[in-house]
Amino acid sequence: MSKPTDLVQGTLDLLILKILALEPQHGWAIAQRIRQMSGDVLQVGQSALYPALHKLERQGWIKSKWDVSSTNRRVKYYTLTRTGRRAVADEAANWERLAAAISAIVRAT
Amino acid sequence: MTRWLAQLRSAFLSISHRRRAERDLEDEIRYHLDLEIEAQRHAGLSPDEARHAALRAMGAIEKSKDECRDLRWGRLVGEFLSDLRYAGRALRRRPGFAALAIAIVALGIGANTAVFSVVNGVLLKSLPYPDADRIVVLRTTSVKTGEINPLVTLANFWDWRAQSTSFEAMATYRGAETPVTPGDTAEYARHATVDVQWFGVFRVVPAIGRAFGPADLVPSNSQPVAIISDAYWQSRYGGDPGVLQRTIRVGNTLRHIVGVMPQGFQFPNRTDVWTPQTSRTASRTSHNLLAVARLKPGVPLASANAELSAIAARLAQQYPDSNEGRGVSVARLQDQLVRDVRLMLYLMWGAVGLVLVIACANTATLLLTKATARSREIAVRTALGASRRRIMRQLVTESLLLAIVAAAAGIALAYWGVQALVALTPADVVRLTDTRIDGGVLAFTLAVSLLASILFGLVPALHASKMDLAEAIKNGARATSGSRSIRTRGVLVVGQIALAVILLTGAGLLVRSLIALQNVTLGFEPANVLVMKATGVRSLAENNAFFDRLLPRVAALPGVLAVGATSVPPGDLTLSGDGAYRIDHLIEERDHDRERHALFTIVTPGAFAALGIPITRGRDFNETDIENRPLVAIVNEALVRKSLGDQDPIGKTISCSWDRKGPMTIVGVVGDARERNPGLEPMPDCYMPYRQHPYNGNTLNVVVRTESDPMALATPLRRAAAEIAPEVPVAFTTMEATVAKRMAEPRFRALLFAVLAAIAGCLAMAGVYGIVAQAVEQRGKEICLRMALGANRTAVLKMVVGQGVMLSIAGAALGLTGAFGATRFLETMLFEVTPLDPVVYLSVVVLLAVVAVAASYVPARRAAVLNPVELLKTD
Repeated sequence: MSKPTDLVQGTLDLLILKILALEPQHGWAIAQRIRQMSGDVLQVGQSALYPALHKLERQGWIKSKWDVSSTNRRVKYYTLTRTGRRAVADEAANWERLAAAISAIVRAT
Repeated sequence: MTRWLAQLRSAFLSISHRRRAERDLEDEIRYHLDLEIEAQRHAGLSPDEARHAALRAMGAIEKSKDECRDLRWGRLVGEFLSDLRYAGRALRRRPGFAALAIAIVALGIGANTAVFSVVNGVLLKSLPYPDADRIVVLRTTSVKTGEINPLVTLANFWDWRAQSTSFEAMATYRGAETPVTPGDTAEYARHATVDVQWFGVFRVVPAIGRAFGPADLVPSNSQPVAIISDAYWQSRYGGDPGVLQRTIRVGNTLRHIVGVMPQGFQFPNRTDVWTPQTSRTASRTSHNLLAVARLKPGVPLASANAELSAIAARLAQQYPDSNEGRGVSVARLQDQLVRDVRLMLYLMWGAVGLVLVIACANTATLLLTKATARSREIAVRTALGASRRRIMRQLVTESLLLAIVAAAAGIALAYWGVQALVALTPADVVRLTDTRIDGGVLAFTLAVSLLASILFGLVPALHASKMDLAEAIKNGARATSGSRSIRTRGVLVVGQIALAVILLTGAGLLVRSLIALQNVTLGFEPANVLVMKATGVRSLAENNAFFDRLLPRVAALPGVLAVGATSVPPGDLTLSGDGAYRIDHLIEERDHDRERHALFTIVTPGAFAALGIPITRGRDFNETDIENRPLVAIVNEALVRKSLGDQDPIGKTISCSWDRKGPMTIVGVVGDARERNPGLEPMPDCYMPYRQHPYNGNTLNVVVRTESDPMALATPLRRAAAEIAPEVPVAFTTMEATVAKRMAEPRFRALLFAVLAAIAGCLAMAGVYGIVAQAVEQRGKEICLRMALGANRTAVLKMVVGQGVMLSIAGAALGLTGAFGATRFLETMLFEVTPLDPVVYLSVVVLLAVVAVAASYVPARRAAVLNPVELLKTD
């Protein structure tokens, strides 16, 4: 199991942004979605998730809104902002480049 | 810039909305946890297992909360604020404890703030003159003994001024209480005669009018002038802008007012009237002037001292008759002014410092007890991921909050305390009026509070951070309240007792000195004696006639038992005539013999009766002892003892260096009186009749022994004086008031130390009580078992009381050792008591023993009446 701290710096941010690009989500759902989409490889605990969410919010890439869930509880939903949307593209491109570079080195041997 | 502003704004918003933000964070994470548990249950786990699994999966909740908070408002500020909030809650949860701790620390901080504001105002703040640290005083010294005489001679001063290069300006001055008539009524005013360079020394010029110029120093070619203080201008001339057209009579000279000094300038010693110093006869032998100077910029004190000493050495060679063995010393004016009070103020400061340390130790023990009680809470927080450093910081923040609140309370206390201190401090402490709580004092208070919070916060914090988690959670409060905590508290309590013992010993010595001083045989009877000072301002004959006419009129007033007049009443320090004397020999021209040295006093017949000084042999002066009759004198027993031994003094002659009138026949002997200060042994005295030494009689103190309240006679006396000579100023006091004034300083010291020692003692004993009470609580079960196994109540009592007494013995031993060393500083303030006075030490030990037993007995009694069944049931 890969812990978030093992992720390359900044990767968690990209994953969150990617998930939120699909639709607004609350924290737990974001963690679930990452796990499902990575085929249970990536498990994000709240201890990494919430600081990351709060940081992204402060950066202005995502914004939050309180809503009421079907079970009648206050839930905080996160949405991508316009700058966030632009950032996803940039971050994704960065990641591709990085991943390709690392792969190139790993395969070379 | 805008980015920075945005951050500031968000920080501000988050601070102002922090309560909501905190609730949001809580809700968000709680929702996450609940969903996680739900998910685990779907996976088939039992509710409990699901909860555990969820918590495991989530990781450290507190830590991530902290991280989120950090993001909200910058890491340090965030943690600090949350600590502060938490601390506030913690204190509010225990209002009794918080109030007690705050009160104790506030007392310590308040006392320190009050005393520091006095120390600051009197000792530390520089004088209110430009570049005041360059203003120095010049004093005559004895090269052999190093003895310092603040007075200089005019001729020497002129040579110093002509030959030295270290100074920008040098001036002589002399201050006195002088009869002054600003309008119609005569009064005494503080008056100084000053040199022209005076204004250069202080870099001060009159706010209105002009300073003195060289022309003012020549008496013949100009009209007499005077400068007055701003305060005097306001009170006597109503702030009249045309004051420069007006006059003031100083002594018998009508003077034109040429200037008004700026507000606040009243050097020396609250002077109201300055006149130019016109004396042209430069003596090398009469030391009767004070000298001040301003150092040139960059000239160090030491080199000015060296230069003047070289000049003085040359003068000693040049004028061996007058100057042999005489040197000069330069000191900063400020140091000179506060010389007499410095030791007392530093001692005061030291004493309140000790009280603060005791208060801190006391609070530390309190916090330690609370930290023990809170160990489960702390353990839980640690288990949830809060780091040790974080917990420690949390606890230190709590102490800090406590200290800040206490500081606020302390400053309020100090405002009141400063007033009390200023009111109680002997009035002759210079610059006392400069005492106030200002920025500097507040900065000091803040620093002291921070220091205090570290002092009392760190011990419990260190303790908490070393806690064994698992044990703490399992056992709750009792886990860490074992031997280690008790031992730390024991050390703290012993330290408190030791410091309190030092203060108690100091207070004991001072109080015993005061009692000895109050029981001293004064040699005169101060009760019911009115003293009226009067100064004639006309010709000698007229002045003498004034007193000659006044005394019989006073004697005839109802309620008067005896009346006389004296040049120096006992306890008066302002005037003094002393010098060498010889029995049956003429006095030599230069007689520096310190062995035969007496105080000379001019008295009228009846003065001894009025003062209550007994005539032990011979007779009092009478109406026949007048100018053209044989010269007579009365001496005291101290003089007889010293110079005559068993011989009959009556009929011997005495010559004095007073006015060299020739040998005087001794006609009487009077008892010894403590002439200047109740704390000083009586000196040899030589009294001379006023009518044979009339030119010393411009100023006399009429002493009146009355049947009842002496002050009631002030009005008829004033009226009688005004009817004879309206231009004569009079001032009233009583002998009792004068003696009380001389006692004011020892009384103040004793009172202050007694109060501080009492506070210290109470705090230390509260510490003993606390530790014994806690021990009883913790060992309750053990005590019950012992009793169940047959131990009787007395044995239990003994065991518990013994613990408190052991601490007290350790503290007392330590404290007495400290006192042996520390009371040396009090030596110069003690009277007929040595710093190692066994009575005081013994009393302190006995007092401590009694109080310690009492402090331990109260909780011990509770132990003895414990109900074993109840107690064993609780666990």
